[in-house]
Amino acid sequence: MMLKTHPGGPSRRGILMASAGLGAVAVTGFPMIASGQGRRPIRIGMPTILSGRVAQLGISSRDAVLMEVDKFNAEGGLDGRPIEMIIRDSRGVPAEAARLAREMISDGVDILFDGEPSSGGFAVHEVVRETGTLTLHINTETSAMSADPRQRFWNAFRVARQGIHDSVAGGVYAAEIVKARNLRRWMTISPDYAYGRDTTAEFVEYLRYFTPDVQVVGETWPKLFQPDYTENVTRLAQGRPQAVYSCLWAGDLVAFVEQAALYGLFSQSQYFAVNMADYTTLKQIKQLPRGVHSGNRYLSSYPPQPANAAFARDYNRRFNNYPTNWAWQAATAVHLTTAALKKVGGTDPRQLAAALKGLTIDSPFGADGKVTMRAEDQTLVGYAIGWGTTIPTEPYVEGIQTANWSQIFQLEQEWKKGKGWA
Amino acid sequence: MDLGELVSCVGSLSCLVTQVSAGLTIGLLLFLVASGLTLIFGVLGLVNFAHGTLYMLGAYFALSAYAATGSFLVSTLAGTLGVATFGLLIERTLFRRIYGADVLMQLLVCYALILIMDDVVKIIWGGDFLKMDMPDTFRRPPFIIGGGIVPLFYLVLFGVTLAVALLLALCMGRTRFGRTVRAAAVNSTMVASLGVNTNMVFAAVFAIGAALAGLAGALSAPIRSVVPGAGVSILIESFIVTVIGGMGSIGGALVAALLIGLTRSFGSIGFPLFTEGLMFLMMAVVLLLKPSGLAGKHPA
Amino acid sequence: MSRFSGWRGDVLVALIAFSLVAALSLGVGSHALIDFIIRLGIFGLLALSLNLLIGTAGLVSFGHAAFFGSGAYAFGLLMQSGGWSVPAAVLAALTGSALLALVIGVLCVRLSEIYFAFLTLAFQMLIHSMVISWVSLTGGDQGLMGGIPKPPFLGVELARPAHLALFSAFCLALSAVLLRQVIRSPFGVALRMLRDNPQRAAFLGLSVFRYRLGAFVIAGTFAGLAGVLMALYVSGAFPTFLYWTTSGEALFMIMLGGIGTFLGPILGAAVFLFLSDRISGFTEHHGLFFGAILLLLVLGLRKGMLDWAVDAWRARGKGRGV
Repeated sequence: MMLKTHPGGPSRRGILMASAGLGAVAVTGFPMIASGQGRRPIRIGMPTILSGRVAQLGISSRDAVLMEVDKFNAEGGLDGRPIEMIIRDSRGVPAEAARLAREMISDGVDILFDGEPSSGGFAVHEVVRETGTLTLHINTETSAMSADPRQRFWNAFRVARQGIHDSVAGGVYAAEIVKARNLRRWMTISPDYAYGRDTTAEFVEYLRYFTPDVQVVGETWPKLFQPDYTENVTRLAQGRPQAVYSCLWAGDLVAFVEQAALYGLFSQSQYFAVNMADYTTLKQIKQLPRGVHSGNRYLSSYPPQPANAAFARDYNRRFNNYPTNWAWQAATAVHLTTAALKKVGGTDPRQLAAALKGLTIDSPFGADGKVTMRAEDQTLVGYAIGWGTTIPTEPYVEGIQTANWSQIFQLEQEWKKGKGWA
Repeated sequence: MDLGELVSCVGSLSCLVTQVSAGLTIGLLLFLVASGLTLIFGVLGLVNFAHGTLYMLGAYFALSAYAATGSFLVSTLAGTLGVATFGLLIERTLFRRIYGADVLMQLLVCYALILIMDDVVKIIWGGDFLKMDMPDTFRRPPFIIGGGIVPLFYLVLFGVTLAVALLLALCMGRTRFGRTVRAAAVNSTMVASLGVNTNMVFAAVFAIGAALAGLAGALSAPIRSVVPGAGVSILIESFIVTVIGGMGSIGGALVAALLIGLTRSFGSIGFPLFTEGLMFLMMAVVLLLKPSGLAGKHPA
Repeated sequence: MSRFSGWRGDVLVALIAFSLVAALSLGVGSHALIDFIIRLGIFGLLALSLNLLIGTAGLVSFGHAAFFGSGAYAFGLLMQSGGWSVPAAVLAALTGSALLALVIGVLCVRLSEIYFAFLTLAFQMLIHSMVISWVSLTGGDQGLMGGIPKPPFLGVELARPAHLALFSAFCLALSAVLLRQVIRSPFGVALRMLRDNPQRAAFLGLSVFRYRLGAFVIAGTFAGLAGVLMALYVSGAFPTFLYWTTSGEALFMIMLGGIGTFLGPILGAAVFLFLSDRISGFTEHHGLFFGAILLLLVLGLRKGMLDWAVDAWRARGKGRGV
């Protein structure tokens, strides 16, 4: 699966050379890099998940990177130096992601885009902590990666949304509805692993922060890969809650929604499904219930900016598919990287890291047209977060309310203090 | 653990109706997969670790058939017959060669098949999870019986799976084919010496087992997401069912499957975080007390 | 076999192999080679330990990764808790894996081989599910995060890849020598007899249960050591370590290299890693390729490469009348 931007990556070259009787050279490294220094491409390695259950997200991340890199190269690159992407499949195995990262680094990539979700992301994080390679984590949403000072080091940046930001925004939005409709009895249904537990706990925490009299009367936790949700659906039916929170996602959310709809649950309670508004999910639910509250993962209609709509249109035209949350994050990583490259004029990692710190760029995905790489913890802020309600047809989500970043910053700071991280 | 909740549920008719109907429906779906597994094991002596793959294929066939015709009947038949045909194909080309081979051979062939089919499915249908639609008639608001909730589609599932279970029992118990199969399970050489083409019997049994898994996949496609690799979790559950029921026993599989279904539905109320553990616990207890399973005749 | 080729011979071969690897990794110094040696140590050990069950005892386990994972998690958690030296944590992790193998083994080894294969799979999935759910201890699906401290001991700095490669090769060589003594010992002879001729073994009064349980615990312990190396390699522990696919890969390696020859699994691991890296380099459909290779091996060759080579060598020898 070596990609269109530059055919023949390092491994293929390695095979060719070995078969030409240059085995020793192939083992000791890839000396081709040494030649042609002047116009040598800027090489970016990217392990991500291209097969298995999460493949569709990894593929969308890859596609978005390629689309944006092609744009940068077509405009002349960095003084004529194009970006060459080396994208490899980790199959969702963290150890494999770490190995690929190591391999890419020893093959001499200039920058690493880590396209793994949290589990693989932390594995890659440990690798680059040791090697000092400039790394952009583009799909790790676990807040601890940048919020916990022990996890921070100079060469790692996060270009992804973050659990704590989503939880604050969701809590604020839900609290408004709780007050308006007097929703006191809540239940939760979230996946029984770290992401599900953390995100749910944070959401409930902020919901209670704004509306202290909310009660969680029951919880149900489907397992990873659980094929059927009937037992969880009937559990919700028994609890008769006024509102339900869920951070189930993708295929699991789709199966849950279908089963819950058959049990008539959507007419009984208000549903808050933080991960609903992503095209991979919206497109698969055959009869999308009206009025489910959801945060935006990725929507072409939100933020309502021409640049965002154009991004979705270009992506759709080229890949015959819709962008995902992993797609806008990947595109943003390219935008930030190319901005830093232009600022520095070269690929020195220390200089690039210094340029990235605090860098603000125009972005189709920004809450007010811009996103920022916050200097203090090297993580992306200012991206658009909004909550709205679902409708059965395009654009699928209406009445989106934009989260207020100054409020997010304030509560995020308090949360960090509570954890002893600030 | 939430025993108070469980007690109050057992004491309320509405809760009982909802949980029992859901548990039985899920249990019967599981039975379809497990019965094929146990049948193939009983007659062919083959532990089909690739049985979950057949379930997954059933779902994909049904999904495509429904998208093409919009008929639930056609999609169900496509899932069942398509997987039966596929089963026949792999039985003739692969499994036929490893009857009587050691478990390692069986395991490796199945493992290879899982690897290959997960990728083939990905090439044909893409790596994204998919969802099959269902007829609007099934989408009506659920029935309220004694205060409990029973969706129409679950009633349909319940009816179809129960009918198939009964048909299977009749077929195995009362027909000439069933008697031949049961005899072949005990001693295939003797059956062959009586002039029965055991090759045909074996192929037929594998096809029936595959068809049952395909049917389960097709029936559950409208309510579960369809994705490459979806077979594994189903495989583990159906193995638990066959171990509890007794390898090779269809009756045992039925009892065990219903037991698992009810454990899941009541477990989610009384032991929300330990429902899965409960199933394994039941299996461990059965293995310690009666290793051959509830209805098992084969000594373990 | 001559009297001099007992354990002394094994140690000699292991020493030579280890020195060669050491010279190679220190001399050439390529990252790719060092990485490969570390991984060969890990997966060679995993495959070798599994083959004690499959090749020697005839017990087909589909859940061997459970102990691989337990070793990795136990080691990672101990090192993260602070205050443990590497050797102490390794010993504790091995003890933990041995205990886990004992518990699972008591439930599984009494059963016929078909039940055994499935039950080991099922218990592995249960442990996988527990690791995923027990977020406060294991980090759940995100694994043990934040790196594993590797304080130097006896001049060995495992944070340096070259040292880790040597340590990994050392563990594999040492384990290979030990496992070979196990297989040659009366205990190993009894295991083979139980595999080939259970009636005779029963007639001699051998306890099937005890011998098989012993083999299961020993294999689990060495798999635990492989897990420790894995945790050191990736500086973490992840649920995929104990998922069924890891067990499947170990089986694949054994089948590739050969179950009848002692060093077969190590060769299988080496070929598997090489193939795996190459195949995932040019396709997303590695399952298709691996599945096809496996089918060809199982249905065509019907034995692993080293088994095949040894048999061919013997046949040739006979043909020449040697």
